[in-house]
Amino acid sequence: MDVRSQISLVFHLDKCIGCHTCSVACKNVWTDREGTDYMWWNNVETKPGTGYPTKWEDQDSYKGGWKTDGEDLELRSTGKRKIIPNIFHNPSQPSLDDYYEPWTYDYSELFNAPEGDDQPVARPISMITGEPMEIEAGPNWDDDLGGSEIYAANDTNLEVLSEEQRQQMKAIERMVMFYLPRICNHCLNPACVASCPSGAMYKRGEDGIVLINQDRCRAWRSCISACPYKKTYYNWSTGKSEKCILCFPRLESGEAPACFHSCVGRIRYLGNVLYDADQIKEAALRPDDELVEAQRRMILDPNDPAVIEEASRCGIPEGVVDSAQKSPAYRFAKEWKLGLPLHVEYRTFPMLFYVPPLLPVMSISEGDLVRSDVDELFAEIEKARAPMGYLGKLFAAGNEGKVRYALRKQLAVRVWRRHVTVGDVSLEAATQGLTEADCTPEEADAIFKLTALSTWEDRFVIPPFQREMAMEMIADPHDHRSAAGFGFRDAPRRS
Amino acid sequence: MLKKPDHTTSSLSPFLTAVFLLTTAGVAGAQDAPSEETIEFFRRNCVSCHTIGGGALTGPDLKGVAERADEAWLVDFILDPKGVIDSGDPYAAELLRKARGLYMTQVPGMDRTKAEKLVDLIVSESAKERSLFAGLQISDRPLTEIDIERGRGLFMGTVPYENGAPACISCHTASGIGGLGGGRLGPDLTDAYARLEGRKALSAWLGSPPSLVMQPVFKNHALDGEEILAIVAYLKSVSESEGAAEPASVLQFVLLGFGGSALLLLLFDFLWRGRYRATRRPLIRDSKHARIGASS
Repeated sequence: MDVRSQISLVFHLDKCIGCHTCSVACKNVWTDREGTDYMWWNNVETKPGTGYPTKWEDQDSYKGGWKTDGEDLELRSTGKRKIIPNIFHNPSQPSLDDYYEPWTYDYSELFNAPEGDDQPVARPISMITGEPMEIEAGPNWDDDLGGSEIYAANDTNLEVLSEEQRQQMKAIERMVMFYLPRICNHCLNPACVASCPSGAMYKRGEDGIVLINQDRCRAWRSCISACPYKKTYYNWSTGKSEKCILCFPRLESGEAPACFHSCVGRIRYLGNVLYDADQIKEAALRPDDELVEAQRRMILDPNDPAVIEEASRCGIPEGVVDSAQKSPAYRFAKEWKLGLPLHVEYRTFPMLFYVPPLLPVMSISEGDLVRSDVDELFAEIEKARAPMGYLGKLFAAGNEGKVRYALRKQLAVRVWRRHVTVGDVSLEAATQGLTEADCTPEEADAIFKLTALSTWEDRFVIPPFQREMAMEMIADPHDHRSAAGFGFRDAPRRS
Repeated sequence: MLKKPDHTTSSLSPFLTAVFLLTTAGVAGAQDAPSEETIEFFRRNCVSCHTIGGGALTGPDLKGVAERADEAWLVDFILDPKGVIDSGDPYAAELLRKARGLYMTQVPGMDRTKAEKLVDLIVSESAKERSLFAGLQISDRPLTEIDIERGRGLFMGTVPYENGAPACISCHTASGIGGLGGGRLGPDLTDAYARLEGRKALSAWLGSPPSLVMQPVFKNHALDGEEILAIVAYLKSVSESEGAAEPASVLQFVLLGFGGSALLLLLFDFLWRGRYRATRRPLIRDSKHARIGASS
């Protein structure tokens, strides 16, 4: 057993209100430099929709992630055979147009416009060329089902639905959408790291954060094709690729990443989990519908004495194990089985888990009337607006059972809390609901507390980073006793 | 005609000048028999254009040249022929006219000592009845069709040279060799025969090519007499048949280049036909088409 610690994340989609505060926080902290203007390390998509970059889930064209024949894993985008004929042009990358051409406005035209009958407007100016431009698309062009005839209709996840189901989704009372905030998943089996020909990408040993060494990056852009989530980006100004760094400087000083900290809906949870790295390959070779379970199996119980002993043997500090025991990510993803990985069929084992949204039918149209006092608000989840097949494709590689389990448990908790707080549901009905959903009253209360009443300390359990110890592995601090620091770092630039 | 050296030593002090002249005179006086080295140097570099007592080739016959110009002038001329000719020197101008405007080439690796030794060698050879360098012994027999055919083979590289010299076509072209023509590194040889005014001079050139590029290449791969004759025969036939290399072959070359690149691009386009092109624009386009189709 090779026990390692990994920062794991949970996004509770039932709580996301789609305000994009996370995206803006991230943009302001990390990607407001030239060359990064088109990047959104954190973005919020509307589902169904094509997302950012457009149709990023369409791996037939973008060739992201891994494929397997059951015996071995192979990158879809590149490999020893494919690299030679494509060495001067790494294919299957989104073009700038597939992201969007970033723009700003020439506001001086507002202030300097001569008096006239018409309202002056600010002209959009491209941030790439500096010329006036026609805005054709943005990073969130399909927000709230905007342009759904084009964007939502082309969501690749709808392929699993029948034509009838797709038509049903267009009916007004079943019209459904939900938000899907996305950041780098800091995968256990990252395709981007595997594809990098320069060895510039790495997964940090102590916390599993995936990073790009800006000194070693040689702009091959293999990571951009290989990442199935399209979460590495090419900085056209420095000629290096960049990606979400999970705000590791903030984490190292005990703060939550900017997008986590700023989340208005408090949908985000962060904590480390212990996992068995020896299982990764075997797990990645499982058939699609077993992948969620295989990933859960990799995550170890931090309270199990055997695991604790093994962790200590593998050099994991005690403090890290302690924080894993309090980790909300462990509870959501493994203990309660509510958290599900996004598109686990790409076989990178994303360590960002989503709690799927309930999306009940809120009103029913009867003739000319629309009834909103629906009795069955907390009724059978099969009647929810989002087809189970669609959610299954997104969060469980087609294994609808995993999504159904998570939704049913959430519903049972709601019914249970209804019984506790309002009392119009009988104890028998509430308990029966819990039993059917594989839940106990204690667990239901815990889920309720972490979902609805959680504090900063509950949501973000940041393990001790002990950077001073990590530093000792690469440099002897005594050598630098009288110096000001450990050396200089130049700003990355084209050389 | 005697020619005074036009370089001056006025910048040197009189004492130094005296020392210089004494030294050089002493060195020149001490030289009685020319060394093997100098003879070999002359053979390599001079005999393609000059003879000593064998008549003028491209350049004049050097027999008694020391009586026509003084030694210091000769040394200067050997060191930098073009410089002396272009300086407006009247004797040099006359030589240029006699050589039909062909400048004497600057010999690679020439320095003042070597030039002085060469002049000494010319003087001593001029005194002989029959000089070592009276001229290359190339047969005077009439050139036949067979010679032309062999020469063509040698030029094109289909017949190898005895001593392993490279074929002419690798650097030169000539009219009528067809296809894409020959190399374009060296000059077009279509009118080489006419330019060098005939068999003797051309043979001498081929016997020991003096040009900066050819000399090192042919130094250890000299052509033999029969081969030279064949090449001469071929170049003669070429110069008599046509003008310069036909411009059509140049055009052909360019067109073939364009055609080839176009074919290559088409091939690449085919090989990488599955490559990623675009997502968003086609998506918008196709959706619009679909809607127009549905509404009509």
